Amino acid sequence: MNIPIIEIIDLHKSYTETAVHVHALRGVDLTIEKGEFTAIVGPSGSGKTTMLNIIGGLDRPSSGTIKIRGNDISNLSDNQLIDFRRENIGFVFQSYNLIPVLTAKENVEFVMLLQNRSQEERDARTLELMQAVGLADRMSNRPSELSGGQQQRVAVARALAPKPAFILADEPTANLDSVSTSDLLDLMANLNREEGMTFVFSTHDQRVIDRARRIVLLEDGKIISDERK
Amino acid sequence: MLFTVAWRNIWRSKTRTLVVIGSIIVGIWALVFLLGFFEGQVQNYMGNVIQNETSHLQYHHPRFKDDFESALVIPNSADILEELRTDAEIKATSERIVLNGMLASSAAVQGVMAIGVEPLAEQEVTQLDNKIVEGAPLDPSSKNQLLISRRMADKLKVKLRSKLVLTFQTATQEISSAAFRVAGIYQSNKRLNDELYIYANISDLRRLAEIPGSAAHEIAVVLHNFDEVEVKTIALSERHQDVLVENYRQLSPDLELMNSQIKINMTVMIVIFMLALIFGIINTMMMAVLERMRELGMLMAIGMNKGKVFLMVCLETLLISVIGAPVGIFLGFITIEILNRKGISLARWSAALEEFGMSDLVRPSLDASNYVLVAMAVVITGLLASIYPSIKATRLRPVEALRKI
Repeated sequence: MNIPIIEIIDLHKSYTETAVHVHALRGVDLTIEKGEFTAIVGPSGSGKTTMLNIIGGLDRPSSGTIKIRGNDISNLSDNQLIDFRRENIGFVFQSYNLIPVLTAKENVEFVMLLQNRSQEERDARTLELMQAVGLADRMSNRPSELSGGQQQRVAVARALAPKPAFILADEPTANLDSVSTSDLLDLMANLNREEGMTFVFSTHDQRVIDRARRIVLLEDGKIISDERK
Repeated sequence: MLFTVAWRNIWRSKTRTLVVIGSIIVGIWALVFLLGFFEGQVQNYMGNVIQNETSHLQYHHPRFKDDFESALVIPNSADILEELRTDAEIKATSERIVLNGMLASSAAVQGVMAIGVEPLAEQEVTQLDNKIVEGAPLDPSSKNQLLISRRMADKLKVKLRSKLVLTFQTATQEISSAAFRVAGIYQSNKRLNDELYIYANISDLRRLAEIPGSAAHEIAVVLHNFDEVEVKTIALSERHQDVLVENYRQLSPDLELMNSQIKINMTVMIVIFMLALIFGIINTMMMAVLERMRELGMLMAIGMNKGKVFLMVCLETLLISVIGAPVGIFLGFITIEILNRKGISLARWSAALEEFGMSDLVRPSLDASNYVLVAMAVVITGLLASIYPSIKATRLRPVEALRKI
């Protein structure tokens, strides 16, 4: 039997913000298998971001279990979590978050460098990924010289570079125009279809929701529907 | 790549980085110059003390300096002198008779230290004749001539060729007096000396104080090489064990005091400079870190561990700190070299400097070890300044940092 990529069991998360106690997640159970293309949707304050942060190992649950590739990450230390994220999770952020002082190539290469991969391996993989995202001719441009859509494609290449278990994308299209959004979704759908890469999005964007093959709807910290198309 | 990222990061805000580097350059330049100026002053003072007072070495009867008793002579002074004059390491020697006495004019009386010298030999050692501002140097063929200072002349209300009476103790413990005429008036750059020392021909004082021709109270020695002084002191002390051989440091303990005082001043200045620099750099780096919270959060999110984040911010801080150092040190070096040749005139304060026996022209100089010290201070400052911003950077929690706009 396949081990699920992500396995969440009875996840709770509460925190206190400006003297208000917030119960952001109230017993969430979710399993995501390899190759799924999942959108987590819901209104503001429904707990999407909190859930994504916990899946991404950026935050810890108050209770419950979160397993990535069968490994329980709920109780890892900060440094263990950093190492875990580097090897297992690719991030795509809403505002791209590329390193502005590095070129597109260097941005993609950066995580592999943190993984201590050899120069040849880094060069080969960077070229392969930049070709895959259609930006092989923009390798030596810095982020400020690229459009938003191009930057987000570099961010996808960077997320793929360490060969992660899945890619976590937080509102990846929020800052993109419709053409760029469509290009980006095509790119991610291709990667999902052809390479079996697992994607988990949080999104408000109907265009993303339309392309997703599984839609998990959160409200008030609970999953109220989980549909596969 | 970490170095590349750090290097490029510091140039993200070019103006800010250039302002910080510029202020570091100015700070280092000022520090190097001040250190050079202080060291120049020490050398000025030391040079004057050696030139006018102590020479490199002096010989005395072991107890002579206790109360300058005329009887306490170096009995074999002539032999020692002859030996010293054949020593290739020795440049010049001067034999002296030193008498404590009273000098009286028709108008006033003054306590003095009468130094009997061989004018030619003394000229080699202290360039006494160059300080004469009126009249002529002592003439060994004339009897009972005196060189007195301008101050002494004013106090005693005498002029050239005036008659003065010197009263002193002879080697046989008798009080004796003799009449002298003022042959020349000198002026040195140390008030205290001018008020104390008068010069006469050694033959006159020897005869009057009943000291044998082969004996003297003092032999002053100048070496060819200043660096040999310590070694030579030991060698000559061993060779002439019945007399006291001392070098300028032993003869003038205030030299050591001034040296240590200046070293303390230099250390205080370096520390103040480092503190000012540390806070300036911390301020800049904190701005750089706080501006980049999102980015640092992202770096940690994608797997850059805290050690590497710490190292990156450390590198940035260190780079900002040390880029300016070579320029600042070089500018300081050039300034010191130029001013060493030209000298800095302190003529406006010459009266005050005279009190301490310093000339009013300071030639800044700084030896290589002090340049190394400044360079090390900058690196240490950079390292110290990097700690706080780097720790601050690693304390960021990516989940919070990523939320910042």
